[in-house]
This record gives sequence, C-alpha cells and structure tokens, in this order.
Amino acid sequence: MITLEQLEGVQKITWCTGCGNFGILAALKKAIIELGVPQHEIAMVSGIGCNSKMPHYINLNAFHTLHGRSIPIATGVHVANTNLSTIVHVGDGDTLGEGLGHLIHTARRNVNIAVFIHNNGVNGLTQGQFSPSAPRGYVSKTSPPPPGAPMDPVNPVGLAITGGATFVARGFSGDQKMLVEIMTKAIRHKGFAVVDILQPCQTWNRKLTWAYFNEKTYSLQEASHDTSDRWKAIERAFENGDKIPIGVFYDVERPDLASGLSLPEKEPLKDHQTDLKKLQDIIDGMLL
Amino acid sequence: MDITLQIGGEAGQGINTVGDLLAQVFVKAGFHTFTINDAESRIRGGYNYTQIRVSDNPIHAPVDDLDVIVAFSDDAVIKPRNKLANDGVIVFDDNVEFKDIEACHYAAPLQKVAKEIGGHVRMTNAAALGAVLAMLKFPIELAEETLSSIFKKKGEKVISSNVAVARAMYDRTLEEFSGPCSQNLSTIQQGPGIDKMLLTGNRAMALGAMAANLKWISSYPMSPSTALFQDIITYSRDLEIGTIQTEDEIASICMALGASYAGARSMVTTSGGGFSLMVEAVGLGAMAEIPIVIYNAQRAGPSTGLPTRTEQADLLFMAFASQGEFPRIMLAPKDPLEGFDVAVRAFDLADKFQVPVMILGDQHLADSTWSTPPIDVTKVKIDRGSLSSKGSGDYERYKLTNDGVSPRAFPGDPGKVVVSSSNVHFEDGHITEDPDVRNAMVQKFLKKIPNILDALEPPKIYGPEKADVTLLTWGSSWGAANEAVEILHKDGVSINQLHFCDIYPLRTELLTSVFGQVKKIIAVEQNATSQLAKLIRMETGLDVHHHVNKYDGRPMTPGWIIQQLKEGGVL
Ligand SMILES: Cc1ncc(C[n+]2csc(CCOP(=O)(O)OP(=O)(O)O)c2C)c(N)n1
Ligand code: SF4
Ligand SMILES: [Mg+2]
Repeated sequence: MITLEQLEGVQKITWCTGCGNFGILAALKKAIIELGVPQHEIAMVSGIGCNSKMPHYINLNAFHTLHGRSIPIATGVHVANTNLSTIVHVGDGDTLGEGLGHLIHTARRNVNIAVFIHNNGVNGLTQGQFSPSAPRGYVSKTSPPPPGAPMDPVNPVGLAITGGATFVARGFSGDQKMLVEIMTKAIRHKGFAVVDILQPCQTWNRKLTWAYFNEKTYSLQEASHDTSDRWKAIERAFENGDKIPIGVFYDVERPDLASGLSLPEKEPLKDHQTDLKKLQDIIDGMLL
Repeated sequence: MDITLQIGGEAGQGINTVGDLLAQVFVKAGFHTFTINDAESRIRGGYNYTQIRVSDNPIHAPVDDLDVIVAFSDDAVIKPRNKLANDGVIVFDDNVEFKDIEACHYAAPLQKVAKEIGGHVRMTNAAALGAVLAMLKFPIELAEETLSSIFKKKGEKVISSNVAVARAMYDRTLEEFSGPCSQNLSTIQQGPGIDKMLLTGNRAMALGAMAANLKWISSYPMSPSTALFQDIITYSRDLEIGTIQTEDEIASICMALGASYAGARSMVTTSGGGFSLMVEAVGLGAMAEIPIVIYNAQRAGPSTGLPTRTEQADLLFMAFASQGEFPRIMLAPKDPLEGFDVAVRAFDLADKFQVPVMILGDQHLADSTWSTPPIDVTKVKIDRGSLSSKGSGDYERYKLTNDGVSPRAFPGDPGKVVVSSSNVHFEDGHITEDPDVRNAMVQKFLKKIPNILDALEPPKIYGPEKADVTLLTWGSSWGAANEAVEILHKDGVSINQLHFCDIYPLRTELLTSVFGQVKKIIAVEQNATSQLAKLIRMETGLDVHHHVNKYDGRPMTPGWIIQQLKEGGVL
C-alpha cells in the first residue's frame, strides 16, 4: 500500500558514513511496505540520540521526544488510538539507562507496541561514552581508567523476556533479510515486542564493530530454537560469548494492556465523547 | 447558628464515618456544613480528627472554638480540650480511661450501646451520632429519615439497627447527661436546604475533568491528590475513560502527553514530589505544544514534608518549572464549586492554547468537604481549540499563525503526517537549529500570552469595592480570609479582599488599581515567603505592605488571621 517514495524522509540524513543506523532505517522501510497498512495508521515515537532522529528520515507520523521516555509516551499514543501501529526507536543509553524502568513495566503490561533498540554500546550523540550495554572493561572517556567499565552490561533480551514481553528478538543491522522479517513480525505482534538491534557505531565503538558482529552472530532459527519456550529463550539470551544469537527468542500470546482497560468499545479513545447524561446520573446519585 | 463538632481518635476508628454522618444529617436538615479532616500519615493509631462546622449561613473555613468533642481515645480529649467553647462538652467513650474529667463531660457507653442494641461495635458510629445530636438537643425526627437514607445502600437490617442504636444513644444521653451545652438546637426547624451535595475539592475537580471529556488519566498515588485519581477510576468503566496507575510520575505525564499528542484529553494528578519528577516532561509538552492538565495537590514541603497537611508553597516552583521559556497557565480554585469550573476550563484552555495547564490545589481544598448546591453537567460545552480541517494537503503541525496557535491534527487522520519534536523544529515539526526559525518559534510561544490573558478570569474583589486595607489571597486561603473580612467589616473596619483564582500569567489591571487606592495591602498566604506577593512584585514592581503567613501545615481560620493582623499592628 505504501511506496518507498512515500516513505522518503523529509530531511537529509546526518548519521556518519558507515553507521549501523542506515541498515535499520532501510529495514524499517521494507518492513512497513511489507505490513501493508495505510501510512496514516503508523505512529513512530523516538527518544533522544543519533538513532532517535529516525522520524526525520522517514515520512511517518512521529513524535521525537525525550531521552529515556519514549516507551511511556508511545503507551499513551497507543491507548489513545489502538488502531495505530505504534513503533518506538530508541538507543541503548536511552532505554537501557534513563528509561530502563519503563521497559520492564511496559513489558509486564504487555502494551501492544514494538520497541526497536538501536544497540551500539555507546552514547553516540554525546560522543561515545560507555552505555549500559557496553561490555565489562569497555574503555571510553567516562568509564574509569583502564581496565575500563567495571561492570557487566544490561542484557536487554534477557530483561525483556523475564519482564514479560511477549515478542523478543535480536536483529543485526548487517543482516537485512532477517531484520526486515523480525521488524515486520514485531509490529504485527499483538503485545509488547522488543527487538535488540546490533548497530555498529562506526565513529566511537572500536569493539562492537561490523567485523565483530559478522563473525559472532548466528541465526537462532537455523539452530531450530523453540520460540514458545521461555526457559530456552532465557538460556539463549545469556549466550553472550564467542557466539551471539540473532533471530526470534520468544514469541507467545497473552492479553495485552488495552484489552484490560476501560477503553470505549466502538471507537478509539481519542474520538470518544463522554456521555454527560451518565455523568449527571452519577452526580445525582451523590445528592443527599 | 454556627457550631463546630469534632470527632477525634486513632486512625482506623471510623472517625471520618461519624463526621460524614453528622454532615449528612445537617445538610439534609437544610444547613450548610464545612468539614476538615486532620489525619496523620499513618494507617492505624495516632491522633486524628474530623471537624464539622454547621451554620445557617454559607461557611468557607474552619473556626477555632469547638462546641462538642467526641473522643475515642484519651489524646482526643486532651489535645483539643483548650479549644472547647464556654459550656462546650466532651463526649468520650466510657472505655477510654480518663480520671480528671470535669463533671460537665460525658462518659458515654458508645460501644456498649452499639453492641447491646445493634449487635456489633461497628455501630459505635451511629451511637456517637446519637450522643452528639442529643447534646445539641437536635430534634431527632429531623435526623431519622436521613439515617435511613444514608444506610439504605446497606440493606434493611443495617438501616434498622443503625437507626435503633442512634435513637437509643440519643435517649440515653438525654437521660444521663444533665450538664449544660453551649448549643441548644431544640427549636430549630428544617432549613432552606440549598445545599444538596457534600463535595471535597478532589471530588469536584474529578467531576469537572470528567465533564470536560477527560479521556485519559495516568497517575501515581501521592497524598493529597490520590482521591481525585481514584474517583475517576471508579467511574471510568461507565464513562469509558482510560486510566492507569503507572510506575512513577515520569511515566504518568509521558503517557498523558502521548495520549494527548494522539488526540485524547489527558491529565495527571500528583503532589509536589511527583510534580518534581514530571518537570522535564512539562517542557516537552511546552515545546511540542501538546495540551496537558496537571493537578498538583500541594502539601507541606520540601521533600516528603507533611504528607497529609496543607501548604501553598509550590506556586513559584510551578510557575518556573522546566528549563527554557514558554507560556503556561496556572489556576488555583478557592473551593469545590470553583474547582469544578476550573477543571472544565483547564482542559479548554489547554486545547485552545496548546500549553501545559496547572491546577494548584492543596490538601485543605483537596480533602475538606463543603456542602454545595447540586452540579448540572448536562450543559457543559467543551472547546477543543483550533483543529485542522479534514482532507489532505501538506499538513504542518507548527504552522506559523497570527496568534501563535497552529491547527492540530492527530496521527490516524487520513492524508496527514503529524510530526512533533522536543527539539526546535520547523513548521512541519522536523528539527532545525536555524536561528531565524528558532526566533520565529519562540515568538510563536510569546504570541499566545496576550490571548491567554484575555481568556483568564481577572482577580475578584470580595467585600466593599474600596477599602483602606486589602487582604491579597489565592487558592483555598480564600475561605478563612473571606470570613475574616466579613467579621472585621461588621466591626467597622474598612477592609476587603483581592483574590486570585487564575494566577499565571498574571492579570495586572485590577491589581495596579487596587494598589493605587488602598492604604495597606496584606499578603495572606499558606506559605512562609508570600509567593504570590513575590510574583506580583516581579511582574509589576508593586510590593505588599505586610505579610500573614501560615506554614505549620494546618489550615487558617478567620480568627487566626484577625489575630495576626492585630499582632502585626495592621488593625
Ligand atoms: C535527560 C537527558 N540527559 C542527558 C541527555 C543528553 N543525551 C543526549 S543523547 C544521549 C545519549 C544517547 O545515547 P543512546 O541512547 O545510546 O543513543 P545513540 O546516540 O547511541 O543512538 C545523552 C546522554 C539528554 N538529552 N537528556
Ligand atoms: S556517532 Fe555512531 S551512532 Fe551516531 S551517527 Fe555516528 S556512527 Fe552512528
Ligand atoms: Mg547508543
């Protein structure tokens, strides 16, 4: 329904040459075309960071918001109009640092939105400081002097699964075919979908590079992983050494948040008019 | 007639229930009531009380003298004893061991009668009611029907046993208690009965928000704002309103902004600490021009402060919260009925000007109960402000216009792409650092202010149009100051009151003319530093002559204000 031309971004891209964000943008466009929903029924929410400039490079309804807060904002967009496909683009510093609490709570609520984490191990836009997903020992201007970051990284896939997300996957900007497939599934999934996307930052990250990911990633689906098994999914999520699994870890159905709220039955919340006669009845019931 | 009854005891002893019963009885009998609840921040124990003032005139504040005290604990006897009026009476449950009580007080078998007649200690409330009414010689017939209707929801058996307990205790009190009581209501008749509801500020604002087509509320519990949130949740299924208790206040306001960006009228409720967490997102609302209504039920700060007590010390914080410069609207209703109107107006103003609208309540307004005339919501009309017409074409969310307001569209509108950003942006919502665009966008914000000022209500003068002394007030301090003015005026003092509900942006016309006329203008504020007076000085260079400040967390009384004025040499 949507053409590539329609999705053509309004602004010139400002990412560094070789940045992993290009691959994610390209995959998103393909996924949206694949989805086949009308353009006006998609809403994108992004945070703050290199990645979060996505809304200016693709022509969609969009709200470019605050560092760490996109997920609750997207929850609001979704409940106001559940007809929209609401997608979120955030960085690792953004959603695994400032906004980590929101990620977990949104997972347990199973909010029907798709979150794409552009995971580059650094705070790109603020010039390469180590992010919460940087590996132990990562050296940057703000990690303590060598041996570097004296702490383990956040495990977004593991957290999303244990938090209650019902679709959890990992993609790699360098594996377009798989990424398009995962993103399409994530958006279609009725429930909270989290996709950890490995995104080399060409400028700052000397460790998590294209070569590094090309060498270490392997496909979960080719390894015939059972996506309905929570424990197996968690086991795979903690495989983080010589091999890095990519693909769908976990994919199940559970009631989503909207189905448990008192939203209007016939129309989106945003179009609903409260029946003042009903409210008057409530007030009259309070009269002495 | 102007009497005050106080029911005191430990948290969890049903003190508020007795208070509610009494207020209902008096309102049904045609009188005005005003109830304050004084509660410690704990679930059991301690010393809590509820104070019901009853009058045949409209009343707006608590007063200092107590006519009848009902005590369920010894603290509830000892602590308020010095406030007892001449011939005031203390009724205490005879389970409370109390030795040095004067003869005029009554050790009433409240629990005993509840058990004997009603079969359960739970009915102690009804017994207390009976005792108080008897003390006042209030004609029991005026109360009986009310009691039946109050307990109606609980079924026939509950009605009859409660009524029986109240009646038995009433009779027994008349028989056993022979002392004087400061009040004798034996000859009163059914009053005119204008008031039909008992409303707290929180509830009135909840009704206003629902009447204004509030469609989304996301909040996190924080006293004293929580009751408003709970009320809306209670009715959300019937009225189809989306509600959620979030993980924190940051999520609350962010969800509300998201819902509002997508077209639903949205609100958050909190107190100062929660608002502190929301501040970054207030700026997002401003930058992206997303309407939002923020209710702050102020309590004594800083930090956790006095969680269940009142203060008006967040005014300047809210007026300047967030980095950067942008218009915002601040409204501070004086009582529940005004709270209802303010809530309706808040949503309209937010939509019309696409700015954050802040309602400043406080614990006193939030939790106190006023008897009020009935509210009619069927005529409420809402104004969603400028909306983009249907159809396609190149929609620009931040189109520059003469009045700074750009027509809104929402994601989901066919043919439109709606882009918003927290960065400085072009008219189409996409980001830029261009200095000319930046200037144009700041000017867009500023252009809204004159029209906002026009849309706001000017401050009001209460009392004589002209006077030597003017009390300057805002929000819920209106009540005590208003009664102080009335009392002093009757005593021949040339005094009036200049009161602000719509605080910010500040309307200055009337203010300047009042400053030009009066001899003395006195800031009366429930804070330590006269924040409204400071704001006025900042905006106009005008300075008040004297300050009356209360910051102990307890609401002002008219008597206290008069005393402060005297001690301060103003009178
Ligand atoms: C509340 C707040 N704190 C800090 C910043 C500064 N800041 C902007 S982007 C960023 C980090 C971005 O890192 P990430 O989310 O990983 O995105 P990337 O640039 O790597 O895509 C920070 C710290 C901010 N905008 N807001
Ligand atoms: S700094 Fe890194 S993440 Fe940011 S645009 Fe450049 S390469 Fe991409
Ligand atoms: Mg990053």
